[in-house]
Amino acid sequence: MLQCPSCARQQEPRLICSQCGVPLTADLDLFAALGLPRLLQIDIAELEGAYHDLGRRIHPDRFASASPELRDASLRATALVTRAYRTLRDPVSRGLYWLELHGHKLAENNKQVPPDLAELVFEVQEQLSELRSAREERGSGAHEGMIELSAKRASLQGLMDELYAELVENFAEFDKGGGPDPDQHFAELKIVLSKIAYLKTLLRDVDRELDGEKPE
Amino acid sequence: MTHIFGIDLGTTNSLIAVMDGAQPHVIPEPKTGSSLLPSVVALTPDGAVHVGDRAIKLEPHLDHTSDGHVSAVGLPSGQAGVVIRSVKRYMGLGGGDLAPEDRHHYAFADLSGPVVRFNVGTRTYTPSQISAEILRSLKQRAETATGEKVERVVITVPAYFNDGQRQATKDAGRLAGLEVVRLVNEPTAASLAYGLQRNAEGKVAVYDFGGGTFDISLLNIKGGVFEVLATNGDTHLGGDDIDRAIVDWLLGDMPQELRTDRHVWNSARHAAEDAKKRLSDIDSTEVQLELVVRRIVKTLTRDEFERIAEPMVKRTVECCRRALADAHLQPTEIDEVVLVGGSTRTPLVKRRIGELFKREPLSSLDPDQVVALGAAVQAGVLMGTQTDVLLLDVVPLSLGIEAMGGVMERLIHRNTTIPTSVTEMFTTAVDNQTHVDIHVLQGERELAKDCRSLARFKLGPLEPQVAGLPRIEVTFLIDANGILNVTARDQRTGREHSVDVKPSYGLTDDEIERMLEESIDLGETDIEQRLLINSRNEASQLMTALAKQLKDYGELIDSEERQRIEQAAAQLDSVRLGEDRELIARLVEQLNELTTPFAERIMNYAISHALEKKSIEELS
Repeated sequence: MLQCPSCARQQEPRLICSQCGVPLTADLDLFAALGLPRLLQIDIAELEGAYHDLGRRIHPDRFASASPELRDASLRATALVTRAYRTLRDPVSRGLYWLELHGHKLAENNKQVPPDLAELVFEVQEQLSELRSAREERGSGAHEGMIELSAKRASLQGLMDELYAELVENFAEFDKGGGPDPDQHFAELKIVLSKIAYLKTLLRDVDRELDGEKPE
Repeated sequence: MTHIFGIDLGTTNSLIAVMDGAQPHVIPEPKTGSSLLPSVVALTPDGAVHVGDRAIKLEPHLDHTSDGHVSAVGLPSGQAGVVIRSVKRYMGLGGGDLAPEDRHHYAFADLSGPVVRFNVGTRTYTPSQISAEILRSLKQRAETATGEKVERVVITVPAYFNDGQRQATKDAGRLAGLEVVRLVNEPTAASLAYGLQRNAEGKVAVYDFGGGTFDISLLNIKGGVFEVLATNGDTHLGGDDIDRAIVDWLLGDMPQELRTDRHVWNSARHAAEDAKKRLSDIDSTEVQLELVVRRIVKTLTRDEFERIAEPMVKRTVECCRRALADAHLQPTEIDEVVLVGGSTRTPLVKRRIGELFKREPLSSLDPDQVVALGAAVQAGVLMGTQTDVLLLDVVPLSLGIEAMGGVMERLIHRNTTIPTSVTEMFTTAVDNQTHVDIHVLQGERELAKDCRSLARFKLGPLEPQVAGLPRIEVTFLIDANGILNVTARDQRTGREHSVDVKPSYGLTDDEIERMLEESIDLGETDIEQRLLINSRNEASQLMTALAKQLKDYGELIDSEERQRIEQAAAQLDSVRLGEDRELIARLVEQLNELTTPFAERIMNYAISHALEKKSIEELS
């Protein structure tokens, strides 16, 4: 139980006192912080609505002239709600948070190429290095290379869209209770998340090359 | 409840505004009716300070000595005064951060320290102290106009200001005796003023190109919530840089000695700025620089001007593209583009922005005033009178710590909504280690050495234990001002650790306390008294300078002019030690005006000597 420092009301941990409406300091998970059920499928408009509604009530701007204790509670509660909104809005960070919440971790060594992507990654990197050397030689190959790379980019984006669809399916399974073997779902979630992470890096490298920037 | 006032502390001009019922309005200077206070501060050797137009008027009376010091004409040698413009470019910087073009305009004390300091005779001033003078002047203006005490303020800062620059701005407020309730990003403030005026909804881009800084912010406005999606910018890119580029064009074929002469450079800068402004309306203009033996006249066409300004405008467009990428938006998804800042009056800027976003930008509010108006709106929010508006801003630069191998480990990514916090677990690496050192960084580069060092702190003392056993939870919290706060807790014992954050740049609390005491010594508590002393000092300086000028340059003045000047001087002399500040100020002004042509002749005479010397050197 949590006691409101302003009106002394005893209540379940929450971010706004149910009696006097002041912000409270509570250690909540990110779903609870926004007052949402612990489900992975989220309606973004609803999420935004919850965030804006809470923001209007607990934001430090509303407590600029309040006591230092209240200002501090407002600051902490708002920081938590903001983190919750940012994390849950993006499906990938939402998935990663889901793993963390359930004591799972994406493999430490997620730099390793997911096996399904190995061939593709090799191919793209080959293409990138060919394009780079064609550019250095200022040969006619550079223009063709750019066209090929643009085409490749489109297919990479297509794959990314598929992976997001897979992620959404995985979310739906979890929301239904995870089936007979939840561990299997966690494993699948990890695989799709690491594929997305890898593909993102690859897309970034491709985009840099297309924009003519040097990779860092 | 007393009002909270909104202040736009600009590179070129500063303003103060307040909510008047439901609408914000800028408070003009009661005497002149001007809403802009030039951000120019004159410091004289005896510690007197002048701000705004008065400082600009003093500029020709302060002379330039060979060692880079600027001294008031006619003052005993060794004493020096200085007129400082664009102090905002120096806020929150250490010596090593100074851009090359900002280095040689002023004399600085030791540049190895964490804060740059301007040398003025035997005194030194930090940029926060100089800015505090501008704030004091605005405070006084608002108090005179409203009859209300100004104690609490919102101050705007460029969105792309880093932690150190924000701290320096807060310090300036404190030094001016103001409570800075909130720092607000300038483009965000502008969006508040626009949003209120137009009841805007949707995705808005605010393009803020001022005298010294550039910001782009992308916002989503929905039901009174102003949510910043992404921001980008450059804190050293503004109209000043365009003026400089014109000066380089104008003085390109002059001897080096003249190009680096502060007086010539200043006159050229004025001419460049004027030409730039004229070219907003006409296609071609003459740029004139009057030096006694030489008169430089060059024709600047708008095409040529645009060629000069293009690289700067291009940089702003690149910032816009980066912000769009961060917000995952295409340029065409932006519903409205708002222009802020004096530099957006340039047609080239309007054209390039129109091309990027494929729509006509809005400039229905005065681009000079819109930031101050927005600051007043946010002040209304903080007073609790504007309950329909909520601002959700972002942190412009990523924040992280130095990890193993000198790598920057990001904890809070750029464009994260503030306030925000992140908690990291720290432990020990060797047995019986009693302290853990943490180095906090800000920036987007991969290596710690390429990022800006924000602070260092030590966790501990820890109980001696086996390595890896202690678990200390450190929370990095960025508050609504975009400023970092750090707290630490021992997870096992629940004990709070004191975290003594030592900022890598900026002023310590002790230093600020000391500056506050010094400013109180100067009569900060009694503004009237201080102003009186200022006026008396100004009078006596003017008299001394004048006496010396009349003696040294008597051949440059005819008897009639001399008589008029001596009469005015005698009048001033008879009242200058009295208590009537208004009278002293008026007579100083009168004498200043009377002597300005004379002072200009002296200046030109000095320059022509330099030129003659140069041509003899060239011949031989």
